[in-house]
Amino acid sequence: MQDTGKNIIIAGVGGQGILLFSNLLSKYYMKLGYELKISDVIGLGQRGGGVESHFRYSNKPVLSPFIKAGDVDYLLSFEQTETLRYLHCMKDDGVIFSSTFELSTSSVNTRLEKDMPESKTELIKSSGKKTFIIDPDENKSSDFDISKMMNIVMLAFYAELRGYSHDEMIQIVKESVPEKFIEGNIKAYEKGIVIARAQLA
Amino acid sequence: MKKENTISTMKMMNGNEAVARGAFEAGVKVASGFPGTPSTEVMDYTQQRYPDIYCEWSTNEKVGLEVAIGASFAGYRSLAVMKTVGLHVAADALGGAAGSQINGGLVLVVGDDVGRIAGDDYNDVRHYGNMFNIPVLEPSDSQEAKDLMIKAFEISEEYSTPVILKITSVICKTTSGVIIDENYTYEVKCRVKYPVSFSKVIMTTMMMNAKGSKHPKLVKCFNDFPAHIKRLASDCNDFDINKLELKGKKIGVITAGTPYFYTKEVLHDASILKLGLVMPLPEKLIRELAQHVEKLYVIEDGHDIMEKNIKDLGISVIGKELFPKFPEMMRFTPDIIEEKLVPDAPKRAVMEGIPFRLPVSCAGCSHLFISQILRKHKIKAASDVTCGLIGCFPHMEAYQLQKCMGSSIALAHGFNVATNHKENFVAMIGDGGFWATGINGLMNLIFNDSRSTTIIVDNSCLAMTGGQHVASSEFGFNYKPENKLEIAKVCEAIGVKDIVTVDAYEFENLEKAILNAVNANTNSVVIVQKPCVTKFKLPKGDAYSIDQDLCTQCRKCINIGCLAIESKKAKDGKVEIVINEDLCVGCGLCSTACKFDAIKS
Repeated sequence: MQDTGKNIIIAGVGGQGILLFSNLLSKYYMKLGYELKISDVIGLGQRGGGVESHFRYSNKPVLSPFIKAGDVDYLLSFEQTETLRYLHCMKDDGVIFSSTFELSTSSVNTRLEKDMPESKTELIKSSGKKTFIIDPDENKSSDFDISKMMNIVMLAFYAELRGYSHDEMIQIVKESVPEKFIEGNIKAYEKGIVIARAQLA
Repeated sequence: MKKENTISTMKMMNGNEAVARGAFEAGVKVASGFPGTPSTEVMDYTQQRYPDIYCEWSTNEKVGLEVAIGASFAGYRSLAVMKTVGLHVAADALGGAAGSQINGGLVLVVGDDVGRIAGDDYNDVRHYGNMFNIPVLEPSDSQEAKDLMIKAFEISEEYSTPVILKITSVICKTTSGVIIDENYTYEVKCRVKYPVSFSKVIMTTMMMNAKGSKHPKLVKCFNDFPAHIKRLASDCNDFDINKLELKGKKIGVITAGTPYFYTKEVLHDASILKLGLVMPLPEKLIRELAQHVEKLYVIEDGHDIMEKNIKDLGISVIGKELFPKFPEMMRFTPDIIEEKLVPDAPKRAVMEGIPFRLPVSCAGCSHLFISQILRKHKIKAASDVTCGLIGCFPHMEAYQLQKCMGSSIALAHGFNVATNHKENFVAMIGDGGFWATGINGLMNLIFNDSRSTTIIVDNSCLAMTGGQHVASSEFGFNYKPENKLEIAKVCEAIGVKDIVTVDAYEFENLEKAILNAVNANTNSVVIVQKPCVTKFKLPKGDAYSIDQDLCTQCRKCINIGCLAIESKKAKDGKVEIVINEDLCVGCGLCSTACKFDAIKS
């Protein structure tokens, strides 16, 4: 059956390359001729604030820039506290990709509020949705800095799951990132494929 | 203008980018204004993409608008860009331009922080439309942002009025397709219709039949501004940017901006009047819709302005009684419309107990040093609108008073004269705020024989909006080294007796300088220099780390408010205070706060 379009939320904290991720993905879908609307919500902080990107592609004109809760097909989150904020937005058959990376929140750091007692990773796993967890510590590599390139790792994972052409995706990465970062990004992408294949097997 | 060799292509653009493209296609000559989230990038894109357009970041919004008004009188299409909070600063200039003769089109691109994303109070620029009786346009996506920009200039010239293009945080940050002509060639539009352009004072005097108002010399400068707006109110019923989509008879919705798409997404059978021109209202179209449907709703982001204006026409609509505004609602979403208007809509709520992210300063920010010293010595101070205002949040508690951009110097002066200078209430201000309006506060306190200490944080840019240049920056659109203004020299010329300049990272010197200034019995300015770590990507020093054996978890370091210092649960459940080495820039501030010598490079 032909793909008529999907709703995707990309989440994390400032500095994790969320906007680059949605930019790369948009180029892929544009090549396929889809219509797109991408809405970025960036908080006050220059660094470390929550960032969310609502990414919608469709074979018909996209209406709302925001995805209604319950309409999300894919959630790709680079920070696990942020993942929790969108669990209620997923479709019943929605798919979650979440890094176990966590940037502690200022309100917990300064004891304005208590952290959640439960393990956040376990909360995500028990949401009842199809979930893929990626642990950056377990996937450290000397070839690239996974703390900075989780976005590319997840792009590869997503492409593998969707059965997209890795060659085309890598081509888009090459065309979009500065020359000196291309090599590291490709290593990150390749690592993403390996992680995906292991988890999907 | 359609040309034979048109090559239409679809480009992905966010709203800010599309507005800049619209300015280019409208043949704008001059763009001025002041940075402010969410609309800052309108200027950045205009300057980067369209070098034919003269661009300037002005010292503040009022100056920016006045520049555009002058350029418009010269006959050239001009735009002023700012956020709504900035238009408060420029409101007097807008009042002067409203109802006056317009030669080259004059358009204000104003960003409303719908949803309070950048942390403003909930302002709504359309109030200025009502107050000054000027048209307001509002796009729903990037294509419309470009198209309405061009339409705004046409309206401005045809009806002799400044026009506001209202854009929102959603429009500005949403990317969608825009059809552009790749072969479009820039053409400056110039039109000099009126030899004079005066504020309404001149016109209203004549309208009241004041003595001598029939004199040909006075008649020459008369502009019948109420007639222009009346004509627009009538004509706009036929504007194609106001679209009446008649469908089902049960529900009718009058809407504008992105809420139009939220409505379409949720209410498939509703009849909709979608307004591109939200002021004045197309009364005929509204009545037609009202007659067609059983229930008529207004779905608008921001304040209940269209709702009130429609009710003023004697038409009954449902608005805020069903959709309560801020703070009950941050902004419209499709979810809210579904919840209120679709029977049996499923309820979905965010998980409880997820900790909140309060804004935090970047690691190595000079503001952290100042906050730390003020707190350490219990110095009372007013913060300005700068990245340093993060010091006002409850996890920082470095300041006691904070209001608007450029205010802190006058706030401190007011406190000090009221308390007979018993304690030196200090002002902290950024370089942007200082040049914007803070400099007035400094001049004011000097000639009023007051006494005060001002800490000016010179980070060489307007950091909060992404690093735009200010008068004392060493870069900028129209930068020349010989024109750079020196903060210290200006302070000296104003009459400040005691001026010191310190590097923020020299903690002991900075501490001494601030204490000396506070304790001195004279007017003083401490200029704290350190370029913005984020904008200028300063080279990182060696990261610091915390020796867990020495750490007592007193949390003095974490209370500095640095992004790099975290309270982490280890795998065994034990809490540790750690420094995130990816984020640490090695400024060493945290080591000055540790009494147990646990923090080392």
